[in-house]
Amino acid sequence: MYRHGDEYHTSPCLFTVMRARCLRIKFLSTDSGVGVLLIAPLLLWILLTLFYPLLFTIQISFTNVRYVGTPYNYVGFHNYRSILNDPDFYSSLMRTGVWTAANVVLQIVGSLIVAVVLNQEFIGKTFLRNWIVLPWVLPTVVLAIMWTWILDPTLGIVNYVLQVLNVTNGPIKFLAAPSYVLPTVIIINVWRWTPYLAIIVLAALQSIPKELYEAAAVDGATALQRFRFITLPSIRPTLAVLTLFSALWSSNIFDTIWLLTGGGPLDYSTTLPLYIYRVSFQKFRFNLGAASSVLFFIMLTLFAFGYLYIIYKRGLERGVG
Amino acid sequence: MNVIRYFRSVCIYGSVFFVLAIFILPMIWVILCSFKPTYELLTVPPKLLPQKVTLEHYHNLFKQVPFARYYLNSLVVAVSTACIASLAGGMAAYSIYRCRYRGRGFFYFLFLVAYVFPKTLLLIPLYVLLAKVKILDTPFSIIVAHVTLTAPFSVWILRTFFTSIPIEIEEAALIDGASRWQSLFRVFIPLSAPGVAAVGINSFLMSWSEYLFASVLVVSEQWKTLPVGISVFLQQYAIEWGIMMASSVLIAIPPIIGFALAGRYFIQGLTAGSIK
Repeated sequence: MYRHGDEYHTSPCLFTVMRARCLRIKFLSTDSGVGVLLIAPLLLWILLTLFYPLLFTIQISFTNVRYVGTPYNYVGFHNYRSILNDPDFYSSLMRTGVWTAANVVLQIVGSLIVAVVLNQEFIGKTFLRNWIVLPWVLPTVVLAIMWTWILDPTLGIVNYVLQVLNVTNGPIKFLAAPSYVLPTVIIINVWRWTPYLAIIVLAALQSIPKELYEAAAVDGATALQRFRFITLPSIRPTLAVLTLFSALWSSNIFDTIWLLTGGGPLDYSTTLPLYIYRVSFQKFRFNLGAASSVLFFIMLTLFAFGYLYIIYKRGLERGVG
Repeated sequence: MNVIRYFRSVCIYGSVFFVLAIFILPMIWVILCSFKPTYELLTVPPKLLPQKVTLEHYHNLFKQVPFARYYLNSLVVAVSTACIASLAGGMAAYSIYRCRYRGRGFFYFLFLVAYVFPKTLLLIPLYVLLAKVKILDTPFSIIVAHVTLTAPFSVWILRTFFTSIPIEIEEAALIDGASRWQSLFRVFIPLSAPGVAAVGINSFLMSWSEYLFASVLVVSEQWKTLPVGISVFLQQYAIEWGIMMASSVLIAIPPIIGFALAGRYFIQGLTAGSIK
């Protein structure tokens, strides 16, 4: 395809030095030369800082190293045994399950609703469709400060409104009461991610041909029927992919929970990422942290492949990837 | 007929306003509160608008913490991350979407895995790795971590931009006698600049917000980034609401500017990349 360009470089070569230089230029001008040269920096970077550290985690998980630079021995599966005997691991695993499931369901349903609302014709729609993702753009600290203020038991606006409307008698400690903390953090995280997912769902909605709706309207389908039989089937592939991404992202969220509650009160909002952080950087047991990371990774991978397999089985493979 | 149309538009604007209220109103509330004097923040039936506008919290913020220093650190880290990630990401994306060689599909798959990969699991090994090369507790360690976090995403988003530039334009340049490199620099790069800029701004946003790695990799006060420095306020017992809100308004400014500049491209790239 680029034959012409190649000749341009190779033809004027007369002397051997020139020839060598031209061969090099020719190599750089061909597809594979340019391609390999351009991809090399990022590829090496990712291999070095992402895939190599992953192997590193596995190595650490079989040693008794507690921190960087301390002497260590290989201890076989000892770390895995002590993690699997730790009741805190199981409770944070359960909590991660609840957290992830609730997040995925609420985010997908919420983003669907928001996307349908934004898909209507109204003044300022382009503006709103862009700026609705602001909760996702803002740093987590901002979000944590904001919600700590809004949900504060004595000064927060939410508790004030609830009491004025006589919904509750006393103030609710949203972020400090064991029974409220996990639902509250879930809602806040859903609030943050819903617009982001909604934008993607919205793009899928807009790719549905208008003729389908017109034809359905002519046939006398109600709005609900149009949604059920046209909208949902058309965006199902997108929703399927988003569900997987949402699950992977949610299960790994650390900063939102950490900055809002620090995993507390007691352990009532400690999910696995927080558990790993505590074990490694507060108790300084890198070996245990690494072992639980490996277990977590295995579970996520199994989940992802299981999910993709089910999707594939249902014949939705065109939506994946 | 008119009644129905009227009812419809009420429904539309009602639902839009509802969505707007849920997602945007809390932020406006915080901005308003950051200008209220302390006694107004502590009064119990809260007033919507500040009765007396004050900048005292912004003033105190700079006195109580090295806010300017944090700001500078965050800027340095985020700008470096954005430059490295968009440059390396742009090069890799060009290679994947424009060149033909064996293994290209596999590299693409690797970047996809890197993008979906749960980054929390990188915490321990990256910490150990950076400790071994002795750059722990310097801004470099955060930059390295942030590039790893954002670059695969850049490749993914650039796909839309790069595939939307017709390959014929480059071919035309080659036929006119330009070399492969000339066509890249003179034709392709100017055309793809908005996309690469959007990717850079996206990396900037991610790096600006990132908390976990920034808090673990750096401990000394002089290198702390904004999110880490400010999070101290959240862990205090006597919470200083005014200062906290003033700081969150100031942290939010660069992301908002960045998003205003490139949000459109960012959302285009994001949506087109994800549907397929």
